[in-house]
Amino acid sequence: MPHSPFLDQCKLTADTRRHFLGWGMGGLGAFFLNSAMAQPNGSKNAATAAALPIQHDPSAPLSPLPPPFTPKVRRVIYLHMGGSPSQLELFDHKPELTKFNGRDCPDMFLKGKRFAFITGVPKLLGTMFPFHRAGESGSWISDRLPHLEKRIDDLCIIKSMRTDQFNHAPAQLLVQTGDPRLGHASLGSWITYGLGSENQNLPGFIVMISSSSTTANAGKPLWGSGFLPSVYQGVQCRTAGEPVLYLDNPKGVSRAERRQVLDAVDEINRETYAQFGNPETVARVAQYEMAYRMQLEASDAMDITREPAPVLARYGAEPGKTSFANNCLVARRLAERGVRFIQLYHWGWDSHGTPVDQGLNVGLVDCCHATDQPTAALLADLKERGLLEDTLIVWGGEFGRTPMQENRGGQEMKYIGRDHHPEAFSIWLAGGGIKSGISHGATDDLGYDVVRDPVEVRDLHATMLYLLGFDYRTLSYPYQGLDQKLTGVKPARVISEILA
Amino acid sequence: MSLEPRASGYLSAPLYLACVVLVTGAGLATAMALRPAFAHRVLELVGLEAMPQATPNSFYATRVGPLFAQHCTSCHGETRQKAELRLDSYAFALRGGRHGAVIVPGKPAASELMTRITLPAGDDRAMPPEGKTPLSPDDVTVIRLWIAAGASPTTPPSAIKGAPRLVAEVKFPELDPAATRRLRAPLAGDVERLSARYPGLVVYEARNSADLELDAASRGAAFTDADLKAFLPLRSHILRIDLSGTAITDASAETLAQMTALKTLRLANTKTGDETIAALARLKSLRSLTVTGTRATKPALAPLSKAGVAIHGDDNAD
Amino acid sequence: MQTDPAVPTPVAGEQVRVWDAPTRLFHWSIVALVFVSWLSADQGYMTVHLWSGLSLLALLLFRLGWGLMGSTTARFGDFLHPPRKVLAYLKTQARGASPLHAGHNPAGGLMVMALLAVLLAQVLTGLFANDGLKFSGPLALFVSDDASDQSTRIHGIIFNIILALVWLHVVAVGFHHFVKGDNLVGPMVSGKKHRSRVPESANIIFAHPALALGLLLASAAVAAWILF
Repeated sequence: MPHSPFLDQCKLTADTRRHFLGWGMGGLGAFFLNSAMAQPNGSKNAATAAALPIQHDPSAPLSPLPPPFTPKVRRVIYLHMGGSPSQLELFDHKPELTKFNGRDCPDMFLKGKRFAFITGVPKLLGTMFPFHRAGESGSWISDRLPHLEKRIDDLCIIKSMRTDQFNHAPAQLLVQTGDPRLGHASLGSWITYGLGSENQNLPGFIVMISSSSTTANAGKPLWGSGFLPSVYQGVQCRTAGEPVLYLDNPKGVSRAERRQVLDAVDEINRETYAQFGNPETVARVAQYEMAYRMQLEASDAMDITREPAPVLARYGAEPGKTSFANNCLVARRLAERGVRFIQLYHWGWDSHGTPVDQGLNVGLVDCCHATDQPTAALLADLKERGLLEDTLIVWGGEFGRTPMQENRGGQEMKYIGRDHHPEAFSIWLAGGGIKSGISHGATDDLGYDVVRDPVEVRDLHATMLYLLGFDYRTLSYPYQGLDQKLTGVKPARVISEILA
Repeated sequence: MSLEPRASGYLSAPLYLACVVLVTGAGLATAMALRPAFAHRVLELVGLEAMPQATPNSFYATRVGPLFAQHCTSCHGETRQKAELRLDSYAFALRGGRHGAVIVPGKPAASELMTRITLPAGDDRAMPPEGKTPLSPDDVTVIRLWIAAGASPTTPPSAIKGAPRLVAEVKFPELDPAATRRLRAPLAGDVERLSARYPGLVVYEARNSADLELDAASRGAAFTDADLKAFLPLRSHILRIDLSGTAITDASAETLAQMTALKTLRLANTKTGDETIAALARLKSLRSLTVTGTRATKPALAPLSKAGVAIHGDDNAD
Repeated sequence: MQTDPAVPTPVAGEQVRVWDAPTRLFHWSIVALVFVSWLSADQGYMTVHLWSGLSLLALLLFRLGWGLMGSTTARFGDFLHPPRKVLAYLKTQARGASPLHAGHNPAGGLMVMALLAVLLAQVLTGLFANDGLKFSGPLALFVSDDASDQSTRIHGIIFNIILALVWLHVVAVGFHHFVKGDNLVGPMVSGKKHRSRVPESANIIFAHPALALGLLLASAAVAAWILF
């Protein structure tokens, strides 16, 4: 290796710090050992199963890694309906609520409760759209989702979801990272951390965003890697313009020139690694190389113009636009290419009734219109390509909506809306390992509280991990003195009732 | 008490011995009267008491016993008997603890056990104690219904109406790396050799398994019939092959037909056709086949479909 | 019943001091504390149990020290005999003879050692035990949960051994009292025995009470150190 005075100096500077850190870590380690030995007796019933060892080659941090147990699914497509669709207008049929439409909400539901916007005594609001039974399963569905209705026998609808967050950003974080606070690893990060990526030319975790009105609440932390190494964070891709920002070569730089630059940078990085031994350096080399490979593969994967016209029509996709339809079609293309976790956000479901595009009678209808056909097309397309049997599709918002009409500021509002409702909401799952054509759980007659088979967000996470071949108790990452887990510290369970 | 020493005592040695036996006996009898659990243990020891057994398919054995095992027996079981109460068998449960019976057959309201498990979490007497997982409302209902129905060791589950349905608990097997190594030993050499030649293409299905998956789709057109043939040594362990978009042709028909463990095969967008499909009929374990974008025809696929293989991508698929 | 010819007719007023105050206090404190420990554990007053247990520990440590540097009758050397000698003593008892001992007789000495050992074992296992609820011994946090549970099991078993030894102890004392007319309880209270019950050769040297106090403080310090 050529001798470099600069690197020597770096090494000298770094050495003192590293010595200090080494000593510090040793001290911390001893401290941790002490506290680990001093486990109080009560801890035994907590899930103290040993952490699953996960060792990625630092020079290939996304290389595929088998899950501990035989998986039921190999990838996840998560359709997050940002803003939270009203379960009472889509899946949770409540004829009793309609009967009491316009009446004051009973006191028992309001006592000790806090709402995001509702004040005083709100009025009950009956379902806005007619419901009917559909499919062989006879599941209830409203008339707003005519396309999905045809796939209803593929769905497992959970009507008893609960959360403990009633504001968008924390609730979204809870659903996507298992914790309402910032700094935790998202679902896709956990999964790519645990499984790596099947395709080394594409990120293992891809995020795409579309919107009917408002934009993201919690933003990028929803697909952040939190305490996990940053290589596992989601990569946002777009169907309009450059698929990945800053991925293309700058004007006037050819692919060959790019290669030369990369080779030079790689060589320097390798020298640095030889001197310092920091695995992050090798990871950086791997990232540059992946970006180079992605220049070809990502552009190809995101390019829906390569799809035949009937397929585009089926999804309602229009190349060059940003739409949920385009994203669904890309999701299928990514699934085919071995991307582990495909996250689609569609914003605009926050039907408060304040501006017109947030009215149940307008905004929700728009959102249904934008998402219904592509969602159904994605299900059908995956099924036809044999991909649905080892893909898990999750559809849902971050909480539910109140059975009461929102009365922001105690006023009657111009448009009809419902407030945030953490006590009950509906989501659906489809794909491998899941019973199809069933409904799980139930709410009371007014759709206020879960009365049967409550499912917490962490239960959903535990179930997702189970389907991917993980024990939610052992997939962990040590951070700040705690073996961090997607399901957190409260007891979770795999929803065995919905497993095929 | 006199400090005067005596030259001799009041009793003869045999008489004293008799007194000791009498007093000790009386003491044990008192203890038995005060401590039912102790009495049961003594009576059982001398063979005066039999232990009733619950029948294996009874409501007790399928519903109540498992709840006790999950929530109670770590303190009221074989290794510990808090308050001398054991709940690790039907006989012990009915027998009760230090303060008498905890289950009064037919009378849930009079049963101490019901009282304890329904106390609010903050109560000092609530069971399980603070810090342990409480019984769910459904669990409490199961126990209440059982006691109300007579707390019998034999009543079958069907005889007790209204019990919340049984929810299965998903169990995860222990990971045993040594066992997995033994399992993989016969093929480890081939896997290593092929992994060196085709990095990342063949992977174990799970960490506790010797079954393999072959994912050649990411290689695209660079993956040919000859490449597929290289994986034949692993044929009895490969469960899943994805050849979507690769350069394989009908020349691979024979290779694929030898993959005897194959369950899932993806041929999407390859130049394969009916010749390959015909060869696949020999694969008895095949469950799922994707032929989107191939030259496979419906008549050729019919026998596979009839044999129970889910065909994806023929025209009328779904 | 025949009077042993070796025993002179008792004469009132001739009392010899055989037990020093620390030994007697130790004996009755142990009785009280064992009872308190049982009762507190039985009734679930675990804080009381902790304190009675630690007090027992302090007392037992004190007694070990006192057995080495205390008064003659309190010393292990005085009453610790080889098994052969204990057996021989029991044989003479069976024959109805009553050799004299100022302090513990050989069988009694063995009982003292057995009780000390068992109580010490009980206190030590108690330090690592837990009640499976909210209480655990002061050292339970330093061992694994399994070790603590194991310790708890042993703690339960030893309690039964203590019961058996106490029973044997009381039966033996009763034997001396009722059958042989040899009151052992009185001297353990007053510290004095009638001269006729003490061998002529007995030469009892009493240690200074200050030494006992010092030893007790040191033992209490050890127990306190364990707690804090």
